Amino acid sequence: MKRTAPRSTLRKIIKKHKPQLRLAANADLLVHLSFLLFLHRLAEEARTNAFENKSKIIKPEHTISAAKVILKKSRG
Amino acid sequence: MASRGGGTPAASGASGPAELQLPQGPRGLSPPPPPPPRNYADHNAPRRRRNYPPHTAPRPLPALARVSREEAGGGNRWAVTGPAMADRRPRARPGLRRSGHNARAVAQTGSSVENKSKSVRSTLAKQGLGVFPDLRNGTPRLMLKRVMQNQPQVSPLAPLISNHEDTKEAHSEVPSQRVSSMGELQLPDVAPEDTSTTVFNMKKKRRKFSISEFERAAESRLPQYQAQSALDSTVMTRSLRMSVGSLLAPDTVEKRGLLRRPKTRRAVDMQAFEGRVEQNLLKSKGQNDLVDSQSASGIRTSMLTSDAEMMMNSTELFVQPLLDEESQNKLSALEPQLSDSKTSAQRSPISDADQEEARLEGLVSSVSTNQERTQRYSKSTGLDDEHVDRMSHVSPETPAKQGEEKQDHSQQSNPVAKISVAEEEVVCTAERGASAGHSEHLEKKLAEKAELQITAGHASRGETEVAPSAGKEVEEGSTGAHSSPRAEHEITRGIGAESLGRPSHAFSSFEKPEVTPVDETDEQGDELQDEAMMLNLDSSVGEPAEDEAEQPESQEVSMKTPTFVRAPPHKLLLSAKPAKASAPSFPQSSPLKLLQPKTAPKRLRTSQKKPREPQVPRSLIKAIFRHFAKMPVTRDAFQIVEKCSERYFKQLSDDLEAYSHHAGRKTVEAADLEVLMRRQGLVTDKMPLRVLIERHLPLEYRRLLIPVAVSGNKVIPSK
Repeated sequence: MKRTAPRSTLRKIIKKHKPQLRLAANADLLVHLSFLLFLHRLAEEARTNAFENKSKIIKPEHTISAAKVILKKSRG
Repeated sequence: MASRGGGTPAASGASGPAELQLPQGPRGLSPPPPPPPRNYADHNAPRRRRNYPPHTAPRPLPALARVSREEAGGGNRWAVTGPAMADRRPRARPGLRRSGHNARAVAQTGSSVENKSKSVRSTLAKQGLGVFPDLRNGTPRLMLKRVMQNQPQVSPLAPLISNHEDTKEAHSEVPSQRVSSMGELQLPDVAPEDTSTTVFNMKKKRRKFSISEFERAAESRLPQYQAQSALDSTVMTRSLRMSVGSLLAPDTVEKRGLLRRPKTRRAVDMQAFEGRVEQNLLKSKGQNDLVDSQSASGIRTSMLTSDAEMMMNSTELFVQPLLDEESQNKLSALEPQLSDSKTSAQRSPISDADQEEARLEGLVSSVSTNQERTQRYSKSTGLDDEHVDRMSHVSPETPAKQGEEKQDHSQQSNPVAKISVAEEEVVCTAERGASAGHSEHLEKKLAEKAELQITAGHASRGETEVAPSAGKEVEEGSTGAHSSPRAEHEITRGIGAESLGRPSHAFSSFEKPEVTPVDETDEQGDELQDEAMMLNLDSSVGEPAEDEAEQPESQEVSMKTPTFVRAPPHKLLLSAKPAKASAPSFPQSSPLKLLQPKTAPKRLRTSQKKPREPQVPRSLIKAIFRHFAKMPVTRDAFQIVEKCSERYFKQLSDDLEAYSHHAGRKTVEAADLEVLMRRQGLVTDKMPLRVLIERHLPLEYRRLLIPVAVSGNKVIPSK
């Protein structure tokens, strides 16, 4: 069900942000992996927020509050 | 009693007193209190019939009953009487004796059931009565069941059912005449009707139920029940009363008739409104002639116009509202449309707040700009259709708010127009940004976008005078308009684009000299989606506003029709371009470009930025997020997730650059990535990177990332 990692897209994105930066051969796979884990954490946090609100659907406000936390965590 | 207990009146009667005495003697049980003479003929009557009318049936001759009763013996007593005995027991000593007997009956049941029941059955059979089955009342459960079954059931559905039952067993009346002191278990007075209403009688066919008869019977029964205070607590009375009560309830409802909740509407103060309208008109760009009487009359007429009329009014595309009255008509026409579509809670505070200023701006703004209408509608949604004046109060409220500051402006229409443009921008941005909750965003974007577009629009024509004023007004208005963008945001989302746009286009057409853009937008209106249309609206609105600025004095609200015909077609391109230029700043703009109308964007795309910024495919993000969340996610939440992912990539690239630079490299290596993940807390001492790779990446990638040793001293992938 999950599709292949958009390797070229990831490269382009990083290139857009940092044109002078290069990427190693399979580094973009690890970028994809980190992105997956980021989404994983975000989804978990949003899910927790939704549960706390006794809502069965993830709503934007849940996502926003989750994003604040997770983005801070993912700063490195 | 006589009929039923014909065979065994003596037995039943005899067992009455005998029952009490016998067990005491031979069995040596504790002596019960002396029993009154009892007749259990009805008790020994055929048990087939469930509806024992225990208390009303006349008693059989005690002598006969006693004799037959003695035959029956203890078993009979115990087997059949338990609760039945209680039924038949006269009122004396109901509680104690009954319980005592019941207990004894229960105790004796098991052992002596069969013997006694047989004897009883034989006895009864001789008498031609139907014999109850073996275990009919043998076990306590069955006894209780019999009790419950014999209990006259009062059901609203079966009051008249058992008339034929009564007739069938005439003797049932006899026992029913007897008043039993069952107390909780039975209602003596109710007996005749109760028997008729037994629900559990499954043998007999039920008579066709007639509601009218039932009602009559219920009515007649009602006073009976009310008379019995002792039986209030019984289930049957309660049920009957409930049924009767339910009968009464609909009547009361019907009597009241269909009551509609009276709509509470604020009374319209015609005088004040008209006065303010006139003031407003007087203040407007120096056109006083048409204003006073006509506007007032127009308002009146507008308020009185019917909905159909208003609808009809609104459909005209190029109407030149000769004056305010026309615009008022249209305003009122549009209001019901929009108010029907949505109710906005914001309007009430807004409307209450600045009515004065709203009125001041009201006619002018309504006349000048149709865009304002959209905002007005946002305010007015939820307002009653009938209160046009309220609408007018409220509708220009946003422009009015901004208008307060601009009252000193000679050209009030311009600022209002600009603000409307800005507000349109806000709407667009809101649409585009799709971040519903961010009013602050909207506010800032409102100021930005309005300025951007206005300046862009102006620059194309080299009109500088308007721009600074517009920008200033926009800023002024932005603070006041933050509520409106929100409302508009909602409104524009809720309202169909075309329905909103078409009338707006129509109005803008007659207002603005620029018709070509309006024409084009009208044509495209059907094809456009909300944001695209808003974009065009903005552009079209912006330009006419500028034109109005050009001819402030000469221009009357009632327009120069020919001017719009003259409008150069190139304006459309120019107008669309600035609108488009503002779009790309949003992350979601690129997908939105696809939604642009076919005609206009075609030429724009070639000139527009062809290279789309790289984006992780939305579908992929959706799939991943949904997989991880395991819960339904709203579309808006997905928008937020996308924004977060973009910000994440930005952070990521910064970090990677820092790490690689720290290592003195210009290339990001896998080691850098691992450092990043370690700092993120994903890779720990307990969780090596390898495990994460194995967990989340498919085989192809795993194979690439994790070195695997194979035979031949080879490592894949080879370093």
